Amino acid sequence: MSKEVVLDCLGEACPIPLVKAEKALVKMAVGDVLIVQIDHSCAMKNVPEWARNQGHEVELEEVDDGEWECIIEKMK
Amino acid sequence: MWFKDALPYVAGAVLLSVFQIVTLASTGNPWGVSGVFANWGAWLFELFGGSVDKWFYFSSPGAQATLNAGFLNYPGTWRNLGIIAGALFAAMMASGFKIKKIKSWKQVAAAALGGLLMGYGARIAAGCNIGALYSGIASLSLSGWVFAAFMFVGAVIGSKLLVKYFM
Amino acid sequence: MTEGITRTSSRASARGGSRRKKKNQIPIALVIFVIIAGIGVWLGFKGENLLLYWVLGLAFGFILQRSRFCFTASMRDPYLTKSTSVTRAVLIAFAITSIGFTAIKYGYFANGLTIPGQSYIATISIATAVGALMFGVGMVIAGGCASGTLMRIGEGFWMQVISLFFFIVGSLWGAHDFGWWKRTFILGGTKVFLPDHLGWLGGLMTNLLIIAVLYVIAHKWEKKNSNQLSH
Repeated sequence: MSKEVVLDCLGEACPIPLVKAEKALVKMAVGDVLIVQIDHSCAMKNVPEWARNQGHEVELEEVDDGEWECIIEKMK
Repeated sequence: MWFKDALPYVAGAVLLSVFQIVTLASTGNPWGVSGVFANWGAWLFELFGGSVDKWFYFSSPGAQATLNAGFLNYPGTWRNLGIIAGALFAAMMASGFKIKKIKSWKQVAAAALGGLLMGYGARIAAGCNIGALYSGIASLSLSGWVFAAFMFVGAVIGSKLLVKYFM
Repeated sequence: MTEGITRTSSRASARGGSRRKKKNQIPIALVIFVIIAGIGVWLGFKGENLLLYWVLGLAFGFILQRSRFCFTASMRDPYLTKSTSVTRAVLIAFAITSIGFTAIKYGYFANGLTIPGQSYIATISIATAVGALMFGVGMVIAGGCASGTLMRIGEGFWMQVISLFFFIVGSLWGAHDFGWWKRTFILGGTKVFLPDHLGWLGGLMTNLLIIAVLYVIAHKWEKKNSNQLSH
């Protein structure tokens, strides 16, 4: 059963959301889903980009004004 | 909606270049940001009764004229305030504006230390990421590349410090 | 186990529940636009290019925010996240602007006029190195460089307001000490305007060559550190 981890990065300056996402993902198993909550405009671009580069499935959703959720499914 | 999506980085690069070139053509100088802050600092200092008139940095006739004309008459003031306003408008237009409050004392410390380093460093290196790096390199000045090399080293050091102390 | 941040939830319901009602900010944007235009008109009457500088600033701020362009990221990401997309975009900006600037400067030169913007050919000395290093450290810690700080204030970050205040203080401090740096290091330094040594075309080509080499290195660095099949 795949686990879902929510990472609250609201209010964090870049690159902190990305660094935290990297660290969290390392601890997760393949198939698990990491949801990164972001309100930094740079992070909403660089977190999905990095995750795609690493070969994971990525979705970005805008959940409120200036707030996004980056949903990463660990693929490897 | 098309205007909600972020522009690709390369599009930003092209557009910034266009306006940099327009800046040189129309103002006689490339874009600069941090020099303005030194003057803002001087006016702030004067507000509290200080004076920078004996400082070498402000000793040239041009510098004195700028200081005497004041904050509101300084073109640099308006270009820098324009950046804030332009970004604000862009964010609102895409309904992406959100107030991000301070989350921890670490952020305050990071902002303070980082700000001081940038301010001081930019003065002695004759500019910041715009004036010394971007405008310097685009002006075919070797100083731009020297700045780039050391700025990169600084960024690596800064990254280590960030992860270790400010995360 | 990561206790603090693990929360198992059924995604469908969490997603539905966490979606707050988004406010449309366009009405506010229109109000801001009117205010911006109003300031513009006032500056137009004040004179002395103030309106021009205001418009240029607006353009830069708008573009930086829309494209999430970040010089800090261009230098920090290759090390921290192994990504070079911003780095390469910055290099492209350098290249295009170099060409534009050189064309303008050559135009003035060829017509026997004073070349504009030459005050930005800075003296190279230890002060350049130390200052650049300090700036590099500072911008990563503060989460934004000079332009990035202003841009992020516009986006609503209180952290960058604090950063700006200290940037101003640091600038004043640097201006205060500048005399010492000038006497001790800068006076002994040298200015190098590439066309003076390599000719106009040679200077431009050298600049572009350096940019091209860095671009290739940046591209390879990211490819090497990614897990995607090359595309």
